Amino acid sequence: MTTTSTHTAPETAPTMERSAWRAFLASLAKRQEVGLLALIVVLALIVNSVNDRFLTPSNVYNLLQTVAVIGIIAVGQTFVLIAKEIDLSVGSVLALSAVTTGALFGGGLTPWVAVLAGLAVGASCGLVVGAAVVFGKVSSFIVTLGMLSIARGMTLLVTGGLPQRMPAELSFIGQGRILGGLPISVLVFVILVIVGQWVLTRTVFGLRVTSVGDNATAAKLGGIPVARTRLLTFMLIGLLAGVAGIVFSTQVGVAEAQAGTGYELDVIAAAVIGGASLSGGRGSIVGAFLGATLLGLLRNSFILLGLSAFLQQLSIGLVIVLAALFDQWRQGNLGSMKHWLQARRRK
Amino acid sequence: MPQSIPQSVELMPVALSVAGMSKTFGAIHALADVSLSFRSGVVTGLLGENGAGKSTLIRVCSGEMQPDSGVLRLGADTVAFRNPLEAMRAGVVVVHQEPQLVSELTVADNLFLYRLGEKAAFETISRRDHVRRARELLERLAMTEYVPDPAARCRTLSAAERQMVDIVRALSMNPRVLFLDEPNSSLTHHETERLFRVVDKMRQDGVGVVLVSHRLAEVYEIADHVAVLRDGRYVADGSPQEIDQSRAVRLMAGEQKTAAAAAAAVDRLVGRDGPPSLELKNCSGPGFHDVSFAVRPGEIVGMAGLVGAGRTEIAASVIGSTRMTAGSVRLDGRPVRVRSPRDAQRRGISYVAEERRSELFGTQSVGFNLTVRVLERLGPLGLVLHRRQDALAKRLTARYTVKTTSVTAPITALSGGNQQKVILARALATEPKVLILDEPTRGVDVGTKAEIYKTLRDLAHREGVAVWFISSEMEEILELADRILVVRHGQIVRDAPNTADPNPVVAAAMGVAEGRS
Repeated sequence: MTTTSTHTAPETAPTMERSAWRAFLASLAKRQEVGLLALIVVLALIVNSVNDRFLTPSNVYNLLQTVAVIGIIAVGQTFVLIAKEIDLSVGSVLALSAVTTGALFGGGLTPWVAVLAGLAVGASCGLVVGAAVVFGKVSSFIVTLGMLSIARGMTLLVTGGLPQRMPAELSFIGQGRILGGLPISVLVFVILVIVGQWVLTRTVFGLRVTSVGDNATAAKLGGIPVARTRLLTFMLIGLLAGVAGIVFSTQVGVAEAQAGTGYELDVIAAAVIGGASLSGGRGSIVGAFLGATLLGLLRNSFILLGLSAFLQQLSIGLVIVLAALFDQWRQGNLGSMKHWLQARRRK
Repeated sequence: MPQSIPQSVELMPVALSVAGMSKTFGAIHALADVSLSFRSGVVTGLLGENGAGKSTLIRVCSGEMQPDSGVLRLGADTVAFRNPLEAMRAGVVVVHQEPQLVSELTVADNLFLYRLGEKAAFETISRRDHVRRARELLERLAMTEYVPDPAARCRTLSAAERQMVDIVRALSMNPRVLFLDEPNSSLTHHETERLFRVVDKMRQDGVGVVLVSHRLAEVYEIADHVAVLRDGRYVADGSPQEIDQSRAVRLMAGEQKTAAAAAAAVDRLVGRDGPPSLELKNCSGPGFHDVSFAVRPGEIVGMAGLVGAGRTEIAASVIGSTRMTAGSVRLDGRPVRVRSPRDAQRRGISYVAEERRSELFGTQSVGFNLTVRVLERLGPLGLVLHRRQDALAKRLTARYTVKTTSVTAPITALSGGNQQKVILARALATEPKVLILDEPTRGVDVGTKAEIYKTLRDLAHREGVAVWFISSEMEEILELADRILVVRHGQIVRDAPNTADPNPVVAAAMGVAEGRS
């Protein structure tokens, strides 16, 4: 066996280059992100042809602002799904972080200290979940289902069900704009996406998350700190749920006890549409960003096109299932289906 | 044990026979042109080492697998079973090593489990009726004394009782041929005697019984006939008098292997000075007891033994995957307590697990799979620089001759042999002082095998790495090892230099007095 197979033979170089280029294009076409982006562009052009106010910067910004909260958590959920876990508690943790900040500010703390406390509460929720999963060996589905209720209950206890006023000094996070109308919340979202993608693919932590989710046994035998990685992953999503809580409550000016109810489904949908696999190992932060954007775009376009809200509900569900099917297809897992169809045709 | 040997085994009618049976998996011949007959009313002991082809033969006979070529005959008729159900209906039944019972259901429910499959999903089923019918069945088979109350839940049964329930279930199908695959591997001697009383009863009822077991002495207590397989080939069959235990051991081990192994032994270094790289003293843990041995730098130690003897368990404890309960471990002469595989890696021990599937990161690239154990070294401050990762991956693929189009190709695109090389290269990327390998070449073609052997020899004999490998292939042990340890029932029963003679190794692994040669 020689190593020449890894090098390109000189005489065949031009054809190799072209076929390599074609292979690159083919691999690009099979990426979930590219398919999603194409879908978003097509959908946007359709809506724009009916309503030419659609593709204006201000409308695009508004759209992104509505998805920022879901999208920020989806960054964390993608990490969690890649680690072959799931977090259902994010909506409640979002609310708990927000009301903690609001209540502490109301109690006299300076705004930034209150924010830090709110974020710390979010990360702690993740730590508790992670500890129960790692040391208690309970499935994260169950633990976070519990935390969904626990965090919501604590939110109600803290507030007595009353909305907490958010500091006016912080309202720029949810409502402020810079650079010709770019909302700060969108900026935060985009920065988190970029940093998240970078952490996932370029840092030891990110690659550890991938290895733990792909094959936990091999990771453990390979000397990867599996427990610590899982714990950190849950802390990360807790922290990001906290960030989303601050963004959400400063958008509306108050932290409500019922904020974020039901968000877990949208967050998981965004991550899955973006190519995250519930069987672990695979996922993309950029994909989650596009997934969240697609969800927001669908909602927005139904309103602009004046279509029924019932149809909206239905089509969002369809998109989730189709995205998962597309993901299976590009993995080549539907090959057996093709054979099955061919076999039927022959009969 | 009362022996009731028929006057002549040859007079009994043939119940099941195979002729020219072959089955290959990739490059491996699991069965090669095997012809054998199993007779009614006769207990045939089917003997062979791990990988000799016994399990494949059972699978092919019972419809679990389709042979590549060859004929299966039931009595005088040529048959081809498409699945185990067809085989069962025709009277060929297998009792597997691990009884397949639904532990939350009762004994009676399990005996009639097939009815759950036959009936439509909306129909009702009377479980009291099951218990009544189970009692009738046990009476008819005269098995009442062997099986616990049919109303008991299977969860509460001992291993021996579960085995009996499985056997009764097999008998309820009125088998013509019954395969017992390692039925006594988890039974005590007393329980085995009870089992053999049942086997004796089946024999008198004219059932052709095929007994596969590694406990040679016990096989010889009951078998009327023995057949030996080696490397997927038929070697010999005859009466237990013709093929006695020591002859059986020699037949299983094979004599022609010794020449190749002796040739490989020529450039062998035996031990080096200085303290051993790894030393275990009186170590006990889950699945092994009072184990002591050492691996010196530059030495390749091969660990032989039957599957389930406790070899993997010893390795798992050494790397801190499971806890040792007693004993001490020394690395380079210094006592250590390895707390986790991560700790082991930090101390210079690298481990490659048995199943390739459990070592691969299937959704990831070749490069990821190569570098996953050394991510921390690929950049400062927890960053992984892709440039450095790619360079390392390319260096490893070149050095260990991994055939791949690029390091970004998915790992699943590689052949099994190349995947195995990736796993080995990954373990070596940590630059270990001690390398532990569990079945390093399972399911790998001959060419790749030779390359892996060369890599391991270079590592040990040139670079002074201490290599300890576990293998169930006698050939591999004899070719690669400088010293051979034999594990049996969780203990080291033999520790001696490799003399290229398989007989003492096989004898020690099987627990037989050494074969006269």
